[in-house]
Amino acid sequence: MELRMTNVTKTFRDVNAVEHVSKTLESGVYGLLGVNGAGKTTLMRMLCTLIRPTGGTITWDGNDIFALGGEYRKMLGYLPQDFGFYPDFTVQDYLYYIAAIKGLRPTTARQRTDRLLEQVGLSKERNQKMKKLSGGMKRRVGIAQAMLNDPRILILDEPTAGLDPGERIRFRNLLSELAQDRIVLLSTHIVSDVEYIANEILLMKDGRIVLSGTSEELTAALLESVWICTAPSEQVGAYLQNYKVANVKTLQGNAQLRIVSPEPPAKDAAADIPTLEDVFLYYFGEKAGEEDVSL
Amino acid sequence: MFRYEIKKVFARTGGKVALLLLALALAAGCWMAADTYYVNENGDKEYGAAAAHRLRALQKEWSGTLDEEKLRLAIGEITALAATPQAQSQDVKENNIAFGRGQATYGIRGLLNDAFAVDFQTNDYYRAEHLTPAMAGDFYANRIRLLREWLTDERGNAYYRYSDAEKAYLLRQYETLETPFSYDYTNGWTRLFEWYPWIAMSTVMILGYLVCGIFSGEYQFRADAVFFASRYGRDKAVAAKVQAGLVIVTAVYWAMVGLYSAYVLAYYGADGISCPVQAASSYWKCLYHITIGQMYVLVVTGGYIGCLFISGLVMFLSASCRSAVAAVMTPFVLIFLRSFLEMTDSNVIEKAMGLCPDLLLQMNRTLCLFNLYEPGGKVIGAVPILFALYGALTALLVPTVYKAYRKGRDS
Ligand SMILES: Nc1ncnc2c1ncn2[C@@H]1O[C@H](COP(=O)(O)OP(=O)(O)OP(=O)(O)O)[C@@H](O)[C@H]1O
Ligand SMILES: [Mg+2]
Repeated sequence: MELRMTNVTKTFRDVNAVEHVSKTLESGVYGLLGVNGAGKTTLMRMLCTLIRPTGGTITWDGNDIFALGGEYRKMLGYLPQDFGFYPDFTVQDYLYYIAAIKGLRPTTARQRTDRLLEQVGLSKERNQKMKKLSGGMKRRVGIAQAMLNDPRILILDEPTAGLDPGERIRFRNLLSELAQDRIVLLSTHIVSDVEYIANEILLMKDGRIVLSGTSEELTAALLESVWICTAPSEQVGAYLQNYKVANVKTLQGNAQLRIVSPEPPAKDAAADIPTLEDVFLYYFGEKAGEEDVSL
Repeated sequence: MFRYEIKKVFARTGGKVALLLLALALAAGCWMAADTYYVNENGDKEYGAAAAHRLRALQKEWSGTLDEEKLRLAIGEITALAATPQAQSQDVKENNIAFGRGQATYGIRGLLNDAFAVDFQTNDYYRAEHLTPAMAGDFYANRIRLLREWLTDERGNAYYRYSDAEKAYLLRQYETLETPFSYDYTNGWTRLFEWYPWIAMSTVMILGYLVCGIFSGEYQFRADAVFFASRYGRDKAVAAKVQAGLVIVTAVYWAMVGLYSAYVLAYYGADGISCPVQAASSYWKCLYHITIGQMYVLVVTGGYIGCLFISGLVMFLSASCRSAVAAVMTPFVLIFLRSFLEMTDSNVIEKAMGLCPDLLLQMNRTLCLFNLYEPGGKVIGAVPILFALYGALTALLVPTVYKAYRKGRDS
């Protein structure tokens, strides 16, 4: 079980969406982290045989995935970022239809549908029309359809977008439960989605995978590079300009800053334990998406 | 898969609206075809199925071989009636009474008007009233004579339009029609044919709308990524779509034609099925030797091929353009193509016009056109070419739709 990308490149007219990506995925959960436009979706669409790379190859156990065709797609589960469905189908009909085009036998389709609807907490909505579902519920149907064929390769493009915090935790747990013996690749802006469940985190920037490793490996690289210091409120602006500031907390006229920097930003700065958020900030120069932005 | 493709089409509001429109088109077609009246002894009009039945009973009396004897009798009756005070009267009511008495010979009167017209392209409703029974013997010969005069008249357009071989072909067709032929009341069929193009054209336009969504819908709903990434997304699931399209076209078309035919024939009666089409005045000039029953078969199979071809083209466009707009427009463009082409005056375009696909949807009219072609030096009419051409194109379209769609979008 080995999905190998060699020098994979995709160019859209003048944009290099993905550039020379080489990476081998084996059983486990991979978190693909990157800012908007980093090329995550493009890479995933290639892995799903939806678009062909302009350069390089993608192989499954040594065979080109485009040549394998249906044999490869048989093992594939895909949740697109822009997940669309048939609005007038009920949840059940939708899943039965996807099961059919995935080549599942009707009895298997029924069993899988029952089980997955339970797992994503939509058993009650099975006879609802898809268009009547809330955004998060649609996403959950999307996750269910990706899992229908019990895929060896599960590709989820921002699966947690639109899920409420409770659902997000449920999803995380569901995924760790399902991750055994398959390749799971999920993209996200949200660090906490992958922090605990991903065996390996791939940081993608401008079409390239700039860094990869376990959460511990990535954070270890920033040991002695994350600092907490306190400064008067009027100096916060200067800090924001000169440093990568992960967090600002105001405390009675003073501000407590969390700063990622190889050198201590101030004499009284104390080193703190780096988190994946800090890594994200360090490499992308901007903050990762936050799961509770809207709360 | 197939079942869900069908379900996708009809689960949408648009699908349900289309079914409703089909029902309305069918009802309108039936209503228009059933619009008839019968004038009773008092000169009053009666309407509805009962009127149709009384008319049928009257006209049936003249059924049988249309030989010289019968024609003489008919001319006698028509001229005698024309001489009655009612017919001569200035009073509309009286005229109506006379018209009522003439209803029995109405069909034969039409044929007499055709046969004894002053020239091939003129039709005078009163011509039959000025005939004498002695002229009955010229009835069939006149059909050929008028054609010959038309073809050899240097002042007319036919003289230049047709080659010598084509003229010879037309005359041969006319000369080889078996006469005297049998005549019958054929209102059921002629009215059915008259409004059939309405049924076929409205059906194909609505079908175009129904089938294009099968392909463009995936993109419209952004469901294409999951579709094409599935195991059968590039083969069997695409085939199921093509199959669903063909089944919908077939089922809808035959349901429309079947219901329409059943209604109109039940209303008027299906008499005259084995008469040659020339026994009905509307088809007197038809150059093909076919019976009314054979004409029905040509009309409905021609319509089916036309529907399949146009819907196939719609499917192809919606599969390759991934949008419904161009596809939905296709039936309109194809149906009105000839009206646009008519504005030009070129021989090549005129030949092309004779092969436009809308002609398949109105075989009843097409069978009366003198569109001739000379492939390999042999003159043939447009009808067999239309069947062969669009049959072949449709057969080609089916795998093309499949190939166009399975490619997906690689950008
Ligand atoms: N079909 C396309 N045609 C042209 N350019 C494209 C196309 N798809 C993507 N791109 C470009 O490729 C780059 C990578 O896009 P991609 O969607 O892969 O990013 P992403 O990492 O998924 O971003 P996001 O987090 O916003 O989903 C972007 O610059 C984008 O504009
Ligand atoms: Mg994306």
